Order: sequence, then C-alpha cells, then structure tokens
Amino acid sequence: MNNMYLAERTVHTQAQPIKFRCSDVQVWYGEKHALKDVSVDLQDKTVTAFIGPSGCGKSTFLRCLNRMNDTIPVARVTGQMLLDGDDIYDRRVDPVQLRARVGMVFQKPNPFPKSIYDNVAYGPKIHGLARNKAELDGVVEQALRGAALWDEVKDRLHESGTGLSGGQQQRLCIARAVATAPEVLLMDEPCSALDPIATAQVEELIDELREQFSVVIVTHSMQQAARVSQKTAFFHLGHLVEYGSTDDIFTRPQDPRTESYISGRIG
Amino acid sequence: MTDATSNLPRPVPGAGPQPKSLLTVDARTRRRNAAEKRFRAYGILAIAAAMLALAFLLFTILRDGSSAFFQTYARIPMTIEASVVDPKGNRDPAEMAKTLTTSYNRILQDSLADFIKTNGIAVEGLDDDDLAGFFSGQARADMRWAVLADPSLVGQVIDVPVLTSSRVDGMFKGRVTRESAALDGKTSVAQFDLAMALADSGHLKTRFNWDFITGTDSSDTRPESAGLGVAIIGSAYMMLIVLVLALPIGVATSIYLEEFAPKNRLTDIIEVNISNLAAVPSIVFGILGLAAFINVVGLPRSAPVVGGLVLTLMTLPTIIIATRAALRAVPPSIRDAALGVGASRMQTVFHHVLPLAMPGILTGTIIGLAQALGETAPLMLIGMVAFVTTYPSAPPQGLFDPASALPVQVFNWTQRADPAFFERASGAIIVLLAFMLAMNLLAIFLRRRFERRW
Repeated sequence: MNNMYLAERTVHTQAQPIKFRCSDVQVWYGEKHALKDVSVDLQDKTVTAFIGPSGCGKSTFLRCLNRMNDTIPVARVTGQMLLDGDDIYDRRVDPVQLRARVGMVFQKPNPFPKSIYDNVAYGPKIHGLARNKAELDGVVEQALRGAALWDEVKDRLHESGTGLSGGQQQRLCIARAVATAPEVLLMDEPCSALDPIATAQVEELIDELREQFSVVIVTHSMQQAARVSQKTAFFHLGHLVEYGSTDDIFTRPQDPRTESYISGRIG
Repeated sequence: MTDATSNLPRPVPGAGPQPKSLLTVDARTRRRNAAEKRFRAYGILAIAAAMLALAFLLFTILRDGSSAFFQTYARIPMTIEASVVDPKGNRDPAEMAKTLTTSYNRILQDSLADFIKTNGIAVEGLDDDDLAGFFSGQARADMRWAVLADPSLVGQVIDVPVLTSSRVDGMFKGRVTRESAALDGKTSVAQFDLAMALADSGHLKTRFNWDFITGTDSSDTRPESAGLGVAIIGSAYMMLIVLVLALPIGVATSIYLEEFAPKNRLTDIIEVNISNLAAVPSIVFGILGLAAFINVVGLPRSAPVVGGLVLTLMTLPTIIIATRAALRAVPPSIRDAALGVGASRMQTVFHHVLPLAMPGILTGTIIGLAQALGETAPLMLIGMVAFVTTYPSAPPQGLFDPASALPVQVFNWTQRADPAFFERASGAIIVLLAFMLAMNLLAIFLRRRFERRW
C-alpha cells in the first residue's frame, strides 16, 4: 500500500455536509438477514469506499441507496435512509425520480446496444433535461467530457457503444450516469472487469467526479479504496464494522476485524 | 486442515497403471477415444437418416405433385352454332341463358368431329362418347359464360384453348396409358389414339396451369379444373386474423408475466397452464371453437373468422413461450442499466428489452403462424371442409364468407376417387410447402435484420 499517496490525499479531505443519513438499515433476502443495523452518514462531494469480504453486504447496501433492490422480489428493507432529509423508502417516493438523483455504475460495463450518443442521451431524454437537439448535444458532450471520454469518441458518436474497449465502455456508463445530473453516484466495483490501465483512468475520473458529486464506491481492492476514497466503511457478515476517514481505517483501525481484513488475514 | 485429509488416499504422480511414455496410448484412453468415435458415428448416422427421409419426402411430393401445375388444352376451331345456343335467334342474353350448359357439349363434340374429318385424322373405333368425353365438363361451362357475356360470338368460329378432360390430360402425364385406357370406363383406346394424333399435329398442348393456383375447387367429376384459389384466400385470411390477434395478445401476456407480474402461486398456475396448452391436441381447440364461436357466439360455419380465432387460441401458447424465452435471454445488465439511469419499468421494457428480444419474438411468431397454416384437424370441426366454389369477398366481409384452407383442401382431395385428384393433392402440398418455406425465410431474414449484439 502506498502510504505516501495516502498521506498526500488527506490534504483534500475536509468536512462536507451530509448527503445521505442512514440509520438502523436492515435488509432481508427472504429469510436471510443480509444487512444488520447499518447506520452511516455519507458526505457530499466525497468519495466513500465500501470494503469487505465477499457476501458482507456492501453491494446490498449500495443497491439500497437508489432502491435497485426493489427489483428483487424477496428483498425487504427497513430503517431510515434520508437523502437531503427525505426518506427514500417513504411510500410517496417514486424510485424512478430517486434514481435520476442517485445514479449508478455497475460492475460489468453495460452500455445499451445503441450508439454512443444515444447511450448518453437516453437519461436526459426520458427525464426531459434538454428542450431541443442542440441542448441535448451539449448535455451529451458535457457528460462525455465529464467522463474523460470525449476526445476518444467525438468523431464516432454514432457508432455502437458496445464496440468500445472495456475501459471506454465503463467510462461511457459513467458518462451515461453523469448525464442525468445526479447528486450521488453509486459505483458497484466499477473496475473489477478492467485492466490496470483502464482502472487507473477510471480511478482518476472518480477523483475528478468528487468535485461535483457524492461518490460511493464498492470495491474489492483495498489499494483502490485507499487511492480514491476519503471515507471508508468496512462491512463484515452484514455488519458495518467500522466507518471513518480512509486514512484512519488503513493506518489506525479501531476494530480487530478491520485490522485482520486490511492486513489480509480474513477475507 | 491437513489432519483431516491425511488418512485419505492421495494421488501419487506416476503411480497409475499406465505405461510411462506419452507416445504410447494406454487402454483406458483407447476406450475413451473409441467411445467418442462411436458417438460421432451415431450422430452422423442420425443426420443421414433425417436427410434421407427429407429427401425422400420432397422427391415423392415433387414427383407426384409437379404435374398438377401443368394442364393439357386443346386448340381447335370451335363453331358456335346459333341453332344450339340461340334457338330463338334473337341474340337476347336472357333468352340464351335458358340454354343449359349440357347443350354446349354439342358444340364441342361437333367441332371436334368436324376437325377430325377436315384434317383427315383416322382413328379406329372412335364413337360419340369418346368425342363428348374428350373435353372437360368445365370447358362447356366456360364457353357458355363466354357466349352469354358476348352474344356476338354466336355463329362465329372461335379459336381458344379448351380444357380437356382429366383422362386426356393424364395421357400426357403417364397416368393413362393405352393399356389402362382399354380397361377404363371413362376413356378408350380410340380416345387415346385421337389425343396422340392431335398432340402430334400440335393441336393439343400442355402448358402452365395458373388455374390450379387461382381457380376454385370443382366437383368429383372434373378434377382437371380444380384449383386452390379459395383455399389460398381462406388460409391468408386466417393467417391475417392469427397475426392481428395472437401477436399483440401473446407479446403483451409475455411481457406482463415476465417483467411485471409478481411471482406467486397464481402466476405459477398460469405459467403451467400456458405450457400445457401448447401440448393440447389441436382437435380439442376445434371442438372449443365449435362450441364457443359457432354455437354460443353464433358466427357462421366454414368462415375464416372462426378458423382464425381457433388457430389464434392454438398459436398463442407457442408465441407466449417463444416471447418469454426471448425476453429472458435479454441480459439483466441491460435492465439494470436502464433502471439505473431512472427509466421506469415500462420504459425499460419498451426502449431496451423489447427491441433486443424482437428477433426471438418474430421467429417464434412466424413459427407459430407456420404451424397454424398447416393445421387441419380443428378446421374440420368448424366446417371448413365444405365444398366451396365461390371466392370469399374482400375483408372484412370476406372473413365471414365460406372458404377453404390449404391443408383442408389437401385432405379433401385425397378423399376423392379420381386418380387425377391425387396429383392435385400433391400439387397443393407443394404450394403449402412453398408458403411454409417463404415464412421460414422471412423469419430468418427478420432475425438477421434485427439481431444485435450486447
């Protein structure tokens, strides 16, 4: 682990307002109690990393944040999750509106089998974010620039998005998520299907995205968590074991389980 | 961990019973390779058997049926005797209509006799019956309609192709030989000789028979004029109804069940029943159609609308199963992607899932349609076996007119005694297969056209 890098990064960390306030979140998949008593406050304009061994519930928690778990019939969520003070599991909340504000990038790059332009323009179109073609073009360009993909694809916007390389596809998915102007960006192991160079590009991008969004990233790689995040939450067997600044988690873990995990003894 | 497994036998490198060199093949490997070779041989044998059966089927059908597309016509001058067709001599079509079709046989018979005499064709033992039976019963009817439509023909000599009887036609297709003619009550050796003489002089020609494709069915005694027109229109109308009803209902059902419906006992029961419906014998659907659409709703018998409804019920499970399989084959990551950018369930389905499932849906639909096109049993129960000689009118009214259907027409013709109908039935099968082939090609084309990678 690059501790020098870590030390350098702490300079940027500063107290930000709370974006997501979660308390006593419980998740059941049928009989299985997948997430137990999770309470965590996620900051705005901060990269928060969720780490932990497989099956610890970190992806489950991430998917609760934009109610993607609604698509799983047996999943049941209780507790409070407040996005800017509004409970996202309130009966009056339409998950479609929520997902426009809380974007998501998935583990495997999953561009639509359409053109690069249509991929990015889809979100703004269905949410009515552009009044005309020129505005839509602007939104698409801005999103692609935001995802550091513009220069690579500007000459072939109308070619298929599935024809790009894996790393480009993942950045296209990020552009697609950014295009709907979300406030929070959820990333579920966004680099696990990418090679090291593409991973580095995406990580760099995540760091830039922090200036506009609250980014929550699930990762299996502790190095990645250390490199990109300011806050880290460690999950183990459905419990949130420890949550704090990335610096503290990796250098001064409070809980013995955290220490065992980051030193490679469990997981 | 090592304690727990230490008592078990462990594989020791090089301790097996095999020869130590990789260049020699041990018995076990030999047996495995032989088994694989045997399996491949079985596979090739199975494919060869299937191909052979298919080739045999196509060969026999083409051999027996291709002649139905050709028909023998006589081309000799026909004198329209005024004394026969217009006994009152006033050229009034209303009066002339009183002359029955049978009387026109006189014209055909006399014209043929005159022709033989003037051309000096010598045929031994030719009698009036041979002359009268030389032409099709359809020929005199056609001539009557022509004369009634144009009374100026009376007294003229016209030179048009005249349909010959099925026996004369059979003489040029190998069905009737000089030997069989001697034993046949409906023809004779003299008629055979006459036909050969006329053919030699070029007055008897076999040409492509459009009437077989466009014409209507005809009675047992005139197989030479039987055509498939009504059956093709009837089948087309039914396919139209099946497509218009089964595609939207089937696709909507599948989308709801696959993408929206909660997974509970009720939907489980529905699913099992849909699968079971696909296996219900088609004749049961016929009984259902008879009971529901004809007896309860009161729709007419023999009508394409009833046939179409019955075939719709029969095709629905096929389309639903194919569509659900196609929807399920769309990767969940696409749904996640769409939901993730804030698309609603319906937008996800209609913008992303459905377009990707389209090739599968279209293929399933066309396969279902092809199946419905070839279905006979349910149509027999709702009266589509009727003998229909008038074309149904244009839709929508035509959907309620009596019509036949291609497979039913095949069945119908195979029931008839005259050997000429055997040829017709095989010909109808060729037409049916051509339609099937066209539909399958369309399915392949559409699948290629809409196929997309993800």
